[in-house]
Amino acid sequence: MSDDQGLSCRDVVVAYGQHPALRGVSVQVAPGELVVILGANGAGKSSLLNALAGLVPSQQGEMLLGQQPLTDLPPHRIVEAGLALVPEGRGIFGDLSVEENLRLGAYSERARKQEQQNLALVYSLFPKLVERRRQIARTMSGGEQQMVAIGRAMMSAPAILMLDEPSLGLSPLLTSELFRSLRRVRDTGLGILLVEQNARQSLAIADRGYLLENGEIIGSDQAAALLADPAVQHAYLGGAAAKRAG
Amino acid sequence: MVILLTGLFLGGIYALIAMGLSLQYGVARIMNLASGEMLVAGAFAGFWVYTAFSVSPYVALFFVVPLAFAFNWLIYNWLLLPLVRRAKNRGQLEVDSILATFGMSFVLVGVMLMAFGGSYFSYSWLARPIELLGSNYSQNRVLAFAVAAVICGGLYLLINRTRLGLSIRAVAVDPRAAGLVAIDVKKVAALTFALGGAVAAAGGTLLSTFLTFDASIGVVFTIKALVIVIMGGVGDIRGAIVAALALGLAETLVATLLDPGLTLAAAYLLFILILLFRPQGLFGRSAL
Repeated sequence: MSDDQGLSCRDVVVAYGQHPALRGVSVQVAPGELVVILGANGAGKSSLLNALAGLVPSQQGEMLLGQQPLTDLPPHRIVEAGLALVPEGRGIFGDLSVEENLRLGAYSERARKQEQQNLALVYSLFPKLVERRRQIARTMSGGEQQMVAIGRAMMSAPAILMLDEPSLGLSPLLTSELFRSLRRVRDTGLGILLVEQNARQSLAIADRGYLLENGEIIGSDQAAALLADPAVQHAYLGGAAAKRAG
Repeated sequence: MVILLTGLFLGGIYALIAMGLSLQYGVARIMNLASGEMLVAGAFAGFWVYTAFSVSPYVALFFVVPLAFAFNWLIYNWLLLPLVRRAKNRGQLEVDSILATFGMSFVLVGVMLMAFGGSYFSYSWLARPIELLGSNYSQNRVLAFAVAAVICGGLYLLINRTRLGLSIRAVAVDPRAAGLVAIDVKKVAALTFALGGAVAAAGGTLLSTFLTFDASIGVVFTIKALVIVIMGGVGDIRGAIVAALALGLAETLVATLLDPGLTLAAAYLLFILILLFRPQGLFGRSAL
């Protein structure tokens, strides 16, 4: 379904030399829905997000944002088109303050016009950042840095926001707080593509989910259905063995 | 007092080539060992304009700056961008760029030897005294300092008050994050590298008004620029300016009170002291 500004990719293949990371992956995210991709280490989750963001080349397949093809576009053009990424490790400007990070987020043409509104929106979603706006980013805690990273990505006025394992390194409490924030971000009308190993908490906030294993999508359904599915429960919600797969 | 002002005048112009290298290293991540040759090329241009046309050597700035900008931009895109693309980490890029620019410096020295011959050259222009604060200083040095200060001021405004400057600072802090906010990192790196080269060449034109040059003296200036950049903390413009003034002062002190031949030794001594007691430089962060 090609929504006005929805993200869709079809049969994407990514290989690093001889090693195939994605073997033909098709995924869709519409504005206003929160989609999660579950997979263990090595399943290909980061490769998918990096290929969509233009950070790694894809060998085959097409990627579209609305009607605009994303394949072969350089990363800064993809951000201009409306697709923002919060990478693993957050990707914030550690030596700059919170406010400088957020303002830099609005660097693109697309985002400049809405800078003030988006800044107000980000501060209303993450009130903790208001009092810390002049604090240097790398001196903040992991959870706070994550907020800065999401805020920074939202400042680029994206239609779709992608996050690569944002719960990594966060306590369960901070993770639920983070995921609640993501729900509020979705409610502002953005589409969210969330890549996670943390199945339980991410399925609890998602609308739909995909299962990625060894570079292939092996299942996709409404989030509630996935939560209730015994096979999913066994693979992702129960055994520690699932974390070592791939 | 004479020493103080003379040292500051000299340091002010050193600041230019140091800023050039700081921009190239801090933003484009290229340790440009040919920056001294860029400076010498600028000096030759000043010499040529004055001796061939009998006009102020500052006229040379009008074509030195755009030519050096274009030349360095080409160098970045043809010689250095392939290295950037294939470098897996910053350390590898530094090693590759050191080797590549080192080789390039030899090529440039050869070209200049061919064009201008191997002898020393200097010219006398505006060598009349001007009285400042009770002592006499050579007008050409004072003017060179004033122009250097204006150029440094312009660079400061560019980097801190314009949108392009914001993208330059962002790339200097974190190129990956800069890419995520729709900054075209490759374009910014190329522009900054070109700007750094143009600034170094302009510094050479200014220095030619009162120093003696030959085709192979570029390496001395590269070393001084490197000393200043490390002393001031990499990527810190304020630090580079302070360190440049300190070096100018130190050299003038040594040349006046000890022996002019010891200026380079003075520079190294200062460098060693800083590395021993504050290796991150005067203003640098602790993790270099």
